[in-house]
Amino acid sequence: MLEVKDLRAGFEGSEIIKGISLSIKAGEVHAIMGPNGSGKSTLAKVLAGHPSYEVTGGEVIYNGENLLEIEPEQRALKGIFMGFQYPVEIPGVNNAEFLRMAYNARQINEGKEELDPLDFDDILTEKMKMLSMEKKYRERNLNDGFSGGEKKKNEILQMAILQPKLAVLDETDSGLDIDALRVVSDGVNKIKSADNALILITHYQRLLEYIQPDYVHVLSQGIIVKSGEKDLALELEAQGYDWLTPTN
Amino acid sequence: MTTTLVDASDQAESALLNLHKKFMSGNRPPEALVPLNEAAIQRFELLKFPHRKHEMYTFVNTKELVSTVFNLPGETVVSKDFIKSHVYPECESSYLVVVDGILNEDLSDNSAIQSSINLVPLKDAVDQPEIKEYLADTIEKENDVFSAINTAFISQGTLIDVAAKKQVEAPLQILHVSTGSASGNVTSHPRILVRLGELAEFKMIVKYVGVQGNYFVNSVMDILVGEQAGVTFSQVQEDATDAWHYSKTRVQQGRNSRVKAVNAFFGNKITRHHFEAHLKDVGAELLLNSVSILNDAEQVHHFVRIHHEAPHTNSTQNFKNIVNDKSRSSVDGTVIVNQGAQQIFSDQLINNLMLSDNAHADNKPNLMIFADDVKCTHGATVGQLDENQLFYLKTRGLSEKVAKELLTKSFAESIVQTIDFPGVVDYLENTLLKKLEA
Repeated sequence: MLEVKDLRAGFEGSEIIKGISLSIKAGEVHAIMGPNGSGKSTLAKVLAGHPSYEVTGGEVIYNGENLLEIEPEQRALKGIFMGFQYPVEIPGVNNAEFLRMAYNARQINEGKEELDPLDFDDILTEKMKMLSMEKKYRERNLNDGFSGGEKKKNEILQMAILQPKLAVLDETDSGLDIDALRVVSDGVNKIKSADNALILITHYQRLLEYIQPDYVHVLSQGIIVKSGEKDLALELEAQGYDWLTPTN
Repeated sequence: MTTTLVDASDQAESALLNLHKKFMSGNRPPEALVPLNEAAIQRFELLKFPHRKHEMYTFVNTKELVSTVFNLPGETVVSKDFIKSHVYPECESSYLVVVDGILNEDLSDNSAIQSSINLVPLKDAVDQPEIKEYLADTIEKENDVFSAINTAFISQGTLIDVAAKKQVEAPLQILHVSTGSASGNVTSHPRILVRLGELAEFKMIVKYVGVQGNYFVNSVMDILVGEQAGVTFSQVQEDATDAWHYSKTRVQQGRNSRVKAVNAFFGNKITRHHFEAHLKDVGAELLLNSVSILNDAEQVHHFVRIHHEAPHTNSTQNFKNIVNDKSRSSVDGTVIVNQGAQQIFSDQLINNLMLSDNAHADNKPNLMIFADDVKCTHGATVGQLDENQLFYLKTRGLSEKVAKELLTKSFAESIVQTIDFPGVVDYLENTLLKKLEA
């Protein structure tokens, strides 16, 4: 589904990712771990197409297409979803209305019928229930005044509604208390299937207790210094990141 | 060059004095109001029309307005259908129509709240010492020449009196209609005074419209809010595009009183709104929000002075202006904290969204603090749409065009949503916000 080959990218002239390769197949869950500043979030932003991040080398092939040449909104329509570490607040945009717009953008792209507010409401109610989100969040403005935890739930709500093929969740666990983490993880597990893939970006092993990864990659100073199966996460939990530094 | 300017301004001043003479002899304001008319025209002679660098008109070019010759409006019939189209659903039986500054009872219907409020013509209201003193005092202290002109030309004016402990359920709409003129220019001077007794609650919608253009509406509204009383109001400025709108809202707040004002401006040749608030006693709270959406060469200018005159008073302001094409907006806002007014909170935020390189937005947020234990913040932003918001929406599959439209609308919508009257919110969403689609 996704082939990342020797990807190099940076921000405002400084290279942050210095050659990353990854191969992700449908049905797989990949965890990307690493200390702060290792390039985890940069990778997520590059995959989503953030205009401030510059790709300086390598390639990303998504279902046979050169992803780096595709606009962010087209990537979304092709099934890539990014769960933001810091979801932006947009006062004046009704959350439910926004979710319906996003849903319908996907529908139109796939040649399907748009849903009116009433029909969409059924989907929204079901998904919000799954994430134990209070009803009031549908009437509130997009992330406006949401607590950290509610913002993250709102990201997963969008993921549940958009049903992406590839979801990149950037530190979705940060700012969540243990109850919220459980609810969010349960939600992600329900969305997960043999047809979609998941990249979990996290600093802590805690999330991986709830969402079991197939592979764990450790990122440090812009490169993957170690890859392994889920036991690697436990090792990191016990020993920290210090024993893993790039050898160059 | 200088002499020419002085001459022009002298000419304009004598033209106004002549118009005033004509008004005093022709319109014959009631005897009880004549002392006010005369004191105010004297105030005008002292203040004079603002010169180019006048501190109250830094961002407003008054040259064209001042040099225009105005007449007093004649009698024009305004149709009931026209009125109906401008009355909000929540005010179907609670609206007053003021045509060119004169209350028109035939066109008004305030049956729903007749028993809750007292409408007193200003000529009778000045018999009350409190009103008389208030008006005399404001004339003496008036530093805005256009408000002085308003008082000089009052021929009627209305006091809306809400008795102590009265809670008026339905909002009252005041519809200011300027009839305008097919040729030449006319000017009118509406004057409303609102007084809330102790513990009274009142809601009000003030709307300005024009039947046709070529007019200058120069309006003043005074709101006196008693102890523990609360007033919520919205002003909607939707005059003819080919017209000038100057207005002043002067608020005086007593102990623990609450004022919430959310105003919306469509703009025209020049709209200038002067908001002056005096938080005179402990615990007074003021919220002032405003939104303007301007296209073509439309202008809206705000001049705001908030006086914290007592400890534990709060004021919060948020202005949002969207300027497109060659339009102009400005916010000149100062919060003044008097000596001894400790423990006050004040926040002023001005946000401007520029949709064109030729549009113009001036901001002058200012604080004058003479107390030491206060929390005051202010800020102003001028910019295009937020890159991160735009990216966020695109990652959800919204096209650049749709995302930009949504963000532009939401910028204004975030103020519109703070209006407490659903009919006004609906209306603005279908009119003011539609200006963004042009």
